[in-house]
Order: sequence, then C-alpha cells, then structure tokens
Amino acid sequence: MAEQASGPATPTALPVGVALRIEHATVAYDGTPALQDVDAQVLPGETVALIGPNGAGKSTLIKAVLGLVPVTAGAITVLGKPPAAARRDVAYVPQADTLDPEFPISVAQVVLMGRYRRTGWLRRPGRADRRIAAEALAQVGLADRAGARFGTLSGGQRQRVLLARAIAQQPRLLLLDEPFNGVDALSQDALLTAIAALKRHGAAVVISTHDLTLAHLACDAACLLNRHMYGFGPVHDVITPALLRATYGSQALELRGDRVVVAHPVANRHA
Amino acid sequence: MRSVLVEPFTPPFMGRALAELLLLALLAGVVSTFVLIRRLGFVADTMTHTVFPGVVVGFLAGGAGGVFPGALVAAAVTAVLLTLLTRSRRVTDDTALAVLLAAMFGVGVVLVSRRSSYSADLTAFLFGRLLAVTPTQLAQTAAVTGVVLLTLGLLAKELRLRAFDPQTAAAMGYRVWLLDLLLNLSVALVVVAAAQSVGTILVVALLVVPAATGRLLSDRLAVIAAVGVLAVAGAGYAGLVVSYHASVTYGLRLASGGTVVLALVALYLLALLVPLVRRRPSDVVA
Amino acid sequence: MKLRTLAVAAALTGLAAGLAACGDDAGTTAQPANAAGARLAVVATTTQVADFARNIGGDRVAVTQLIKPNIDPHDYEPTPADLTAIGAAKVLVKNGVGLEGWLDATISSAGFKGTTVDASTGVKIRQGEGDEADEADHGDPHIWHDPRNAKLMVQTIEKAFSAAAPADAATFAEHLADYSAKLDQLDADIAAKIGKLPAGDRKLVTNHDAFGYYIDRYQLQFVGSIIPSFDTSAELSAKDVDDIVAKIKQSGTKAVFSESSLPPKTAEAIARQAGVRVVAGEDALYGDTLGPEGSAGDTYLKMEAHNTDTIVKALGG
Repeated sequence: MAEQASGPATPTALPVGVALRIEHATVAYDGTPALQDVDAQVLPGETVALIGPNGAGKSTLIKAVLGLVPVTAGAITVLGKPPAAARRDVAYVPQADTLDPEFPISVAQVVLMGRYRRTGWLRRPGRADRRIAAEALAQVGLADRAGARFGTLSGGQRQRVLLARAIAQQPRLLLLDEPFNGVDALSQDALLTAIAALKRHGAAVVISTHDLTLAHLACDAACLLNRHMYGFGPVHDVITPALLRATYGSQALELRGDRVVVAHPVANRHA
Repeated sequence: MRSVLVEPFTPPFMGRALAELLLLALLAGVVSTFVLIRRLGFVADTMTHTVFPGVVVGFLAGGAGGVFPGALVAAAVTAVLLTLLTRSRRVTDDTALAVLLAAMFGVGVVLVSRRSSYSADLTAFLFGRLLAVTPTQLAQTAAVTGVVLLTLGLLAKELRLRAFDPQTAAAMGYRVWLLDLLLNLSVALVVVAAAQSVGTILVVALLVVPAATGRLLSDRLAVIAAVGVLAVAGAGYAGLVVSYHASVTYGLRLASGGTVVLALVALYLLALLVPLVRRRPSDVVA
Repeated sequence: MKLRTLAVAAALTGLAAGLAACGDDAGTTAQPANAAGARLAVVATTTQVADFARNIGGDRVAVTQLIKPNIDPHDYEPTPADLTAIGAAKVLVKNGVGLEGWLDATISSAGFKGTTVDASTGVKIRQGEGDEADEADHGDPHIWHDPRNAKLMVQTIEKAFSAAAPADAATFAEHLADYSAKLDQLDADIAAKIGKLPAGDRKLVTNHDAFGYYIDRYQLQFVGSIIPSFDTSAELSAKDVDDIVAKIKQSGTKAVFSESSLPPKTAEAIARQAGVRVVAGEDALYGDTLGPEGSAGDTYLKMEAHNTDTIVKALGG
C-alpha cells in the first residue's frame, strides 16, 4: 500500500453533509509555510485525530479551521461555509493548563460561557441557557462541583469543564487541542464518554493528540502532520510504524510491534 | 460624635470633595476589577504618565478649562497606541509600555518647564487638588462614570471571557482587540477623571488596591467589584474626616488625597488579616 | 447579573450621600454686620501683608495667615483649616502682582463672600529682569521692599478695614498714622546707612531678583542674580553660571548674598569661583518672606532693617 495514504476519494464538488473540508490548504506566517498542502475531511459523527510532533502545525490547522489565520493556498470549508461564517456552530476546547487557576470564576460560570454567542451582546443568559449549561456539566460528570472556583479542580476535571462549555455551545464541529495531556484516567474516561455522546448526536470531532492509544480508541480517522501531511485515512491504515516514522522524522526511535516510541513526547504548552 | 463624623462636610468644598470621591468609588471600584483580571496594573501606571503632556498642552492652550480635554485626548491616544503595540508581537508588552511612558512624560516635562512657575501646576497634576474640586469637575466625573459603567456593564461577560480565555474568545468570534481597546479607553477615562482630584500618583492606587482588597475577600467577580466600591467610598470618607480634623483641630497639614489613599491601603491590610481569623472556604462560589 | 444591580444601588447611594453632604451651606453663608465687640475676620496671604494687616488692625481684627515663613508663595496649597477660615472671613488681603496664582481657585473653592483687597493697588510696578512671558505679564511682585510702597499698601488695607468695620474706622486710622510714621523713619534710616557706603561699593548680587524695588529706591547697582528669574525653582545652566561669575569679577563686588528661603549652596559655589565673600545662613537676606517668629526678620520693619544692616556690613567691611 502507498506510504502516503491519501484520504477517501474526494469529489471536487462538496457533498452535502461534510462537516469540515480541508482542500490542499497551505498556511504561511510571514512567508514561511507552517502548513503545506493538507488535504482531509471530517464527516458528521466522525472523529479525526491530528497527530504529529510539537511545532508540526496542529494548532495552526485548528486556528485556520476557526478562521483565525488565513489560508494562503487551497481552501477550508466548515459546514459548507467559510470558517469565519461558521463559528456559531463550531466549538473550541483549549488545554486547561493555559488558563489561570487563580481567576475568580466558578465552574458553572465557565460552562455558561458556552451560551454567550447564542445570547448575544446586550442580553444576559436566560433560564434555558442555564439549563443547557447544567446538562452539559452533568454530561462530563461534574454537576456536584458547579459552585466551586474553576481553579480548585484537578487538571483533568478542569479539562472536563472546558469540554462541558463546548458541549453547551451545541456545536456541529468540535475542535479539541491536546485534551488528554496530563489528565487522570477517570477524567479521561469522562472526556471520552462525553465526546462519544456528541458524536452520536452527529457532531464532527477533531482531536489533536500525542496519545496514539487514545487515537485508536476514540477516533475513526487520523491525519499525520508535520508541516506536510504524511497520511490521512482510517486509523488502522494510517497509524503505522512506517508513516509515523516519516511524520516524526528523527524523533521516532523504537518500534515495538505496532507501537512507536517517540523520543520527545508531550511538551504541552503551545505559543 | 456627630460633630466629628458629619461636621467636616458642612463647608461646601468638603461636600464636593466627598461627592467626587463617592463617584470615583463607583468608577474606580468597578474598573479596578477589570484591571485585576486583565493584569493591567502597569498599563494604568503608564497612562498616568502619558496623560501628562495632554494636561500641559491643554493648560497652555485653554487655561484651567483646557486640562480635561487635553488629558482626554492624551489618554485616548495612549489607549489606542497601547492596543496597537501589544497586538503586534514584535514588541513585548512591558517594553512597549516603558518606552511610551518615558517618551510622553519626557515631552510633558519639556513642555511644562518652558513656563517659569510650573511647580505649582506640576504638584497639582501629580498630587491632585481634592479640596478645589469645582462643580464642573464633579459633572465631568459623573459623566465619565456614567459612560464607563454603562460600557463595562454591557460588556461585562465578554470582557470576563476575554480575560479568562482569550483563545476561546477569539475562537468564538469575538474581536479581542476591540474588547481590549474599550477596556484600555475605560482605564484612560478613569485616569483623566481622577487625576484632577487625587493626582496621577494616587490614581494608580485607586485602580489597583480596591479590587486587590476584594480579591482577598472573595472569589466572585461581582463581590470583588462591590468590595472595591465600598473600600474607596469608605477610605474617601475616612481620609477626608481625618485630614479635616488634623488641620482644623490640630493644625496638622495632612494632604487630603494622600490621606485617602493611606486609608485605602489600611483597608487592604485589614483584608489581608481576614484569612488568619477564619479559614477562607475556597470552593464556596455560586 | 449582580454586577449591574450593585452598580445601580451604589450609584444611588453615592448620589444621595453626595447631595446630602453638599447641601448644607449653613456654615459659611451668614455674613452679618460686625456686632460691636466682634473682631473683623481677616485672611492674609503672605507673611508681609499679614504683618501689615495686624499692624493696621491691632486687636480689632483676627488675622489668619495662609503662607507660613520660609514657604515659597508660588506653590502654596490650602489646607481645610485655611479654606474654612477663608469661607468665614469678611476681608481677604493679597499682595497681588501675580504672586498668588492659586488664590482665585482657592477663593471660589472656599465659598468666600467677602471683599478681596489687592494691596498692590496704586503701586508703580516695575518690569522684572526675568525673560519668561508669564512674569512679564504681571511684573515684579516684590513690591514691599520699598518702604514707600509699603506705605501705599497699608493705606489700601486701612481703607478696606474701615469699609468692612466702620465702627472701628477711627482705630484703624490711628494705627495707620502710627505705622506710616514708622515706615517713613525706616526709609530715612536705610537711605542714611546706604549713603555711608562708597558709591562704587553699592553692588548687589543675590539669589534672585527679589530686591528690584529696594535697589531702585536706594540706588544700588544690581550685578546679577544667581537664580535669574522670579521663580525659586528655575535651574541654572552652565552658561548662566559662567555669565554671573564673569559679571561678578568684572564688577568688583565684594560679597554675594543668599536668601533665607533658599539653600545657600548655589550661592557658595558661585562665590568660590568668583573669589568673593558669601553671606548666607543666619546672616541671609529675607527676599520672599518674613522670617519665623523669633528670628531677625519676623516683622516687616525688622526685616528691612536687618537686610540693610547685612548688606552694608558685607559691602562696607
């Protein structure tokens, strides 16, 4: 089989129902390309893992999908629209440890933020919004911590709260930035359960992660990135030693059956 | 007892000073909460320096009546420049601020020293003239308070989101630079409004200490703001009472503006003691 | 959300408190005619006009003096006590000639409803040597150093006192006559003392141009001042220093005088360079203010006499 597995056959006309289409996209900062010729797509109800070393462009790709950085070649279509137009139905989950734990805000208030765009500028979130937020929090198993200050929760619990906030947005596309970093097993389970529930409701999910096991567990497809795209397709086809070695380059060290040990794993912070 | 606590405010100039401080309590108490969560303390300090040339130019151009518009212009320009500078990643926040601060303050000093007797005006600018607050100044402060509280009240939830999680705010489609500009402008307005009465050196105290005090006592943003407002109001009242009695009864000169700020800091120190008295329940937040 | 409700509640409370505090004017509005026996409430700005006011008013006035000795009158900041006194006063005496730039704001702040007396009325103002536009507007404010001006000033003060407290007019007139006589005597004494100095030695180098009127009156020669403007906070450039040293050497003056309200170090530095005597500290001249109580210059008459004696001693010896 080809070393560079291309994705499933993609017609040039966008079929109804593709949640996210990245069409030979190139993103450049000041002339140097951060991403080159990435071609992939996500269908509703599908989960795609973004896999690659640090600095590979995973965060850049997510920013491009959110419309925060422009595409210099190719195109990105989100729910049939340009990225900036689709934001209402797209939810982003950052890494919990980028947020200040001393910030004076409660868990419930964080989750309620997910309703802001629906509420609009001059109004306050109403009873319906609060109900949706409470349900979202329950979905990640933290309803009992609603009144606590966000920073008093553990890292894994905080990540779950951020996912709850995204769930409260009722998104059709969900983007998660390294959600499993430093997360305990219990929280990991809770995250996976909640993501699975969203999938069942037809949301498309993109998860950038270092954790290949979880990628196998939770995702249908994977996209291997290191500035270029080294593979895109069903997980089992793409997460192979050969492709991983190609993606991680000199950072990939050891082969153990179908596992690859990477020399420089998990440095969590993104710029 | 009544004479000690109420009598100081019978002369109109004392009544006006108190009214000004109560307005500033509302204004600074709320704004300092946002300064706290956005860590804008140094920005606020920078602005107290950069309004200086505006004050001087305004004074040279239009006498005492030109000070307010001059300061407003300088403060607005600073807010815009700061927002632009910190957006471009070439210069770090602190460097940009320090350069701006030094440049504009230097310009102000050069301008003002071309007059022969400038020390009185400079003193007034740095330390304020709390006892010389005019009805016009009161009206100006009230107008600024109204505008700023309205803006921040309407944008409170977006501002809090931006402060807490700027990435997600941007992802949701909020224009982070616009929110920053509006908050910077609000801080600038507070600097302008308060500088005339308590002086620029003390304005920073008003923008930082109230919310810091509130933060010691609560985890909830609304409570922090409320504590901030009450702290400034209380300190204003106490400071005026003390400086009045010191002067009238004991012949001691205690600058009113400075006494108010000392009272404010005293409240902060008291708040510091609270966790020692009872354990702060850290997860009782509604 | 709670923030908004709190903001509204606080606003209402603040307004209410502010209005309540502002509303009560009772302390300062009443200005009844002076009852027989009550002293005239007077506020005087500078040490000199306060001294004049006390001399003219005697025990029929209660004088509150704003500026204390050795404080620079340009920078004065009123205290609550001052403002209260001003609010209650019937007559306010100021030096005028732009010396009290802060006074108008202070007067309106305090709610003063009496008469303001400009003691410089009728005095011929000389232009100063300073080159700043600000001072050129008003002229040299140190009018009191010529005793003939002082006579005019106390006349103006007496007129105002008599208008405000007619019952005591006779007393005020009497005090005026006494004091004017003393001023005449002072004038004659100074002229005599200076007259004893050889004409070539009557040269004055002092800290700043405070003595213009004195110099004009007694025909001294002004070589230069060490701070070349009327403002005590102006700084000297290197060129200024060289100019003055050159002038001093050229003029052959024997002594450099330092003012009591300014640090003597500047004067000493120039005197060293020019090789002349420095008169500073205890023997210093009183330029801007009278001296503190107990000092050699704590009244106007004493001050002028002291200044003259100091000058004559330094230049003559």
